[in-house]
Amino acid sequence: MRRNIMRDAMNKFMKKFIRFKNIIFLFAMLFILSAVLSGCGKGDGAGDERSEYVYVSEYVEMDMECDYISGLTSSGDDVFLSVSEWDEETGFNTNYLYRYNMNENKAVRLSLEMPENSSISGMAPGTDGSLIMIVNCNTFEMDEEGNVADSKSTIEIWNVSMEDGTLLGSEDVTGLVAGKSDYAYIQHFCVDGQGNLYLSDGDNCIHIIDKEFKKVCDIDAGDWINNMASSKEGDVYMTSYGSEGLQLQKVDLTGKKIGDAVAGIPGGYGNQSYYTGVSSSLLHSNSDGVSRVDVGTGTVEKLFDWLDVDINSDYVNYVGELSDGRLWAITRNYEISGSATSELVFFTRKPSSEVPAKEEILYGTMWIGSDVKRNIIDFNKKNQTYRIKVKEYGNDDYQTGLAQFNADLTTGNCPDIIGLDSLDYSLYANKGVFEDLYPYMEKSGMDRKDFLGNVLEAYEVNGKLYGIIPYFQISTCMAKTSLVGERSGWTLTEMLDFVDEHEAENVFDYGSRSTIFYYCIYNNIDEFINWETGECSFDGEGFIRTLEFAAQFPEEYDYSGERDEGISSKLRSEKILLMQSSISSVQEFQMMNGLFGEKISFVGYPNNEKQGNLIQPAGGSMALSAKSKNKDGAWEFMQTMLSKEYQDSLVSDHGGWGFPVRRESLEKQFEQDMKAEYSEDESGKKVEQPKTTWGWDDFEMEIYAATPEEVEAVMELITSANKIGGNVDEQLTNIITEEAEPFFKGQKSAADVAQIIQNRIQIYVNENR
Amino acid sequence: MHFHMNRKQRKKKAGSSPRTRRGKLVSAGYLLPSAIGVLLFFVLPFMIVIYYSVVDNPISGQFVFLDNFIMVFNNSAFKQAAVNTLTFSAVSVPLAVVLSLFLAMMLESKMPFKSQFRTFFLSPMMVPIASVVLIWQVLFHYNGMMNEIIGLFGADKVDWLNSSYAQVVIVVLFLWKNLGYNMILFMAALSSIPKDIIEVAVLESAKSYQIFWHIKLRYMSSTILFVTIMSLINSFKVFREIYLLKGEYPYPTMYMLQHFMNNTFGRLDYQKMSAAAIMMAVVMVIIIGILFLTENHFGKDVEG
Repeated sequence: MRRNIMRDAMNKFMKKFIRFKNIIFLFAMLFILSAVLSGCGKGDGAGDERSEYVYVSEYVEMDMECDYISGLTSSGDDVFLSVSEWDEETGFNTNYLYRYNMNENKAVRLSLEMPENSSISGMAPGTDGSLIMIVNCNTFEMDEEGNVADSKSTIEIWNVSMEDGTLLGSEDVTGLVAGKSDYAYIQHFCVDGQGNLYLSDGDNCIHIIDKEFKKVCDIDAGDWINNMASSKEGDVYMTSYGSEGLQLQKVDLTGKKIGDAVAGIPGGYGNQSYYTGVSSSLLHSNSDGVSRVDVGTGTVEKLFDWLDVDINSDYVNYVGELSDGRLWAITRNYEISGSATSELVFFTRKPSSEVPAKEEILYGTMWIGSDVKRNIIDFNKKNQTYRIKVKEYGNDDYQTGLAQFNADLTTGNCPDIIGLDSLDYSLYANKGVFEDLYPYMEKSGMDRKDFLGNVLEAYEVNGKLYGIIPYFQISTCMAKTSLVGERSGWTLTEMLDFVDEHEAENVFDYGSRSTIFYYCIYNNIDEFINWETGECSFDGEGFIRTLEFAAQFPEEYDYSGERDEGISSKLRSEKILLMQSSISSVQEFQMMNGLFGEKISFVGYPNNEKQGNLIQPAGGSMALSAKSKNKDGAWEFMQTMLSKEYQDSLVSDHGGWGFPVRRESLEKQFEQDMKAEYSEDESGKKVEQPKTTWGWDDFEMEIYAATPEEVEAVMELITSANKIGGNVDEQLTNIITEEAEPFFKGQKSAADVAQIIQNRIQIYVNENR
Repeated sequence: MHFHMNRKQRKKKAGSSPRTRRGKLVSAGYLLPSAIGVLLFFVLPFMIVIYYSVVDNPISGQFVFLDNFIMVFNNSAFKQAAVNTLTFSAVSVPLAVVLSLFLAMMLESKMPFKSQFRTFFLSPMMVPIASVVLIWQVLFHYNGMMNEIIGLFGADKVDWLNSSYAQVVIVVLFLWKNLGYNMILFMAALSSIPKDIIEVAVLESAKSYQIFWHIKLRYMSSTILFVTIMSLINSFKVFREIYLLKGEYPYPTMYMLQHFMNNTFGRLDYQKMSAAAIMMAVVMVIIIGILFLTENHFGKDVEG
């Protein structure tokens, strides 16, 4: 009975199943489809699963002080450093040799004394347990007046005890390596497994000397030698640039030639180095990260990305491997103020499970700037909850990167934070890509009045703040006040009238048609487009006059000719009338006034409102994605750049690289600029001394403390800017450049080409309304 | 009785043998790759286009119903593109059909250098489009060959690609590129007309135009429809040539619907692009529907 009930139930189910099988089939198809699609678009996003193993960095304060490391080599777990130190007493740099035990983090200064005017060109461990050093010795013959009459350079090879730095022996090898030139210099140095020494002057010749200091041979590398490195197996390799970028080639002593490029090795350009490996032939370091290279099999194993171990690749000096499998790097970290410190970092491979996981925030940008990179690394080091990962879209080329970025935006893989450099800010802001940042500022206790209102407003769209910048410059155009009068802006007509009145040789130094276009049109393209009504005025008098004006200039400035007069001289004598530049500090403002020789007016780029000074982001600009799944984490990073601490760190003696966006920090900078520095003269009287020296082309001037009037003028300049610079669409510049050409060639009238430009741009405007 | 039959049939269907079921499963298995392909490359993109057409933009994805259609319909660039595309198609498609039919008829007759002419008209098909555009640029550039020629007769230079002549140039380019292919299709159609019917017509003292109008044209109606549809589709694809000649924003008379869609796609205005694509598709369906009805009307007695 029970079986029957079960059977009936099954039958009913089967009937229903058959009835709906078409629907089920459709759903199954859609499921397969969604499964297929779910694999698309996933890649190097923040949501990737972690690798089984990760490298964890450990920062160690170096057990020595050094201003500059001139050479480094390692032998086992000992690293030998040639260090240049500044001696306050003598006022000279002195070279010292250190042995640094990496396991104990202990430095010992060795007894080796370097003669005066000598330097270490290279170091490598020899096969006999000694340290082999290439020493460049210079001797100078002075004349009766104490000037250098003659100089001589010699190359010596020193055998130095690794234990205590005792000089075990030396040999002058100048004759073996100088070649035809009197001047001898060694750029790269290596020792192979048989103890042969490989010396290269960095050109295309490798001199090989045996351990008895007898010449073995010279090998012509053919190409310019980029670097040399010995492998774990005892072979010597050189790198040079081929058609595919950097290539690694074995120096073949038996065949006395350079071998073929090792297959499978990463090419590319930029900062790349090879070091002797411990667990593999070589270690390879580039701007991305570190890899192990096995030359025999041509395999490359990526170990880690620099950003993943919180290291700025720009600051890496040396990389090495210890016998226990750890890797190390010595970095020279530069602060925004300009100061630098050396740091030793160890990288230990650990299972991911042992490393506390952090929530990943993706920072997407076309190209990452050095300031942003530094800020990300600082944030990742300090923050225990979030970790910023970087995706650079523009690595291959801009258009491909942009297409990929747009695809990520529309498929929901948008980065949490978007670097705005090289992106059309207003396009994305108007599409709702960005999150309004004002509520986040309020939540973080930031009062918008604490920041420069005009800078925030420049990034506003409909009262919402979609982008932030930590500091900025003012892109402007300057002219003598005696010529243009007291003004902070002008219209295009006023500008053209002014140039017509003054018959100068050129308007700008190196003035060309593109300079004129950028100055008169591209930087203020909205002057010709009324987005509200959709009307364009490229067929108007202003544009036609600009075309006629631009026709007076060469298509490209001829830079090949000899320059007989500097910019300052030309401006003072009014051979040129205007100068475009960015003002990044009060000191630069002071210098510009000096350059012109009299008071100047910052007229900026022509526009109808006579407000043509533009805000130029200096330390990166970024926005928060409206689609980010971790907006609070993303904002936690972004707010660091607006924090009091960071903004105050931008204040510096030389005025920094831009103006901080926070009012209080900007005032601190102004105070610093107005602070006079004094010294005592011979009579003991306190006299103001120059703070620094600024120069431009033929002009140089000493900068003293700024006056309150100068600071006020800079503040006026800053507050006069209310637009972001450099946001013109390439489509528009292409149309104008293409269609203006027949006019410049005398084939069509300015009015005719203006009409064509008007027609073509009108479509662009209609389309985008 | 009828009801009974249905039940019987259903019963039979439900009680199909395991062998038949297995056969169906195997068939489904074979069909699966194609079905996935159709879903992935046709159904899904179509759904996505519909989705984009009813949201405010691809990033925020707020439902706006028909707002995009209204916005696009009122957009003056879209209107201009639609008018240009329709004008171009209205001029170039009939010309492409009539001229190629004329050429096919001409090559059908007993004339010298027949194969040379055929090769001559087919040669544009063999030239890559980038080269075609390059040739056209040389011909119709402001300092190009065409202006040199008209200059010999004392005429002023014409800015072919930046004036109202621009669409004429594109029509000529379109015809030059497409006539050969259409001509071959018509020649094939002409050769497949039963000779006996024509012979009977000749014996019946039918005039040439009567043979052409009442026999040849009737027999070729399906080919004419096919050539017209192909020419219509190709006329929408003339964007490629214009894009290579003048980029994203050409002179207004050369600005086509695909420019509008291409440019809005590039600026992430997927909603505009999708709305425009759907409107264009609707118009295409209507036009092709009308063509089918016309063909049915003219060709029914031949096919029947």
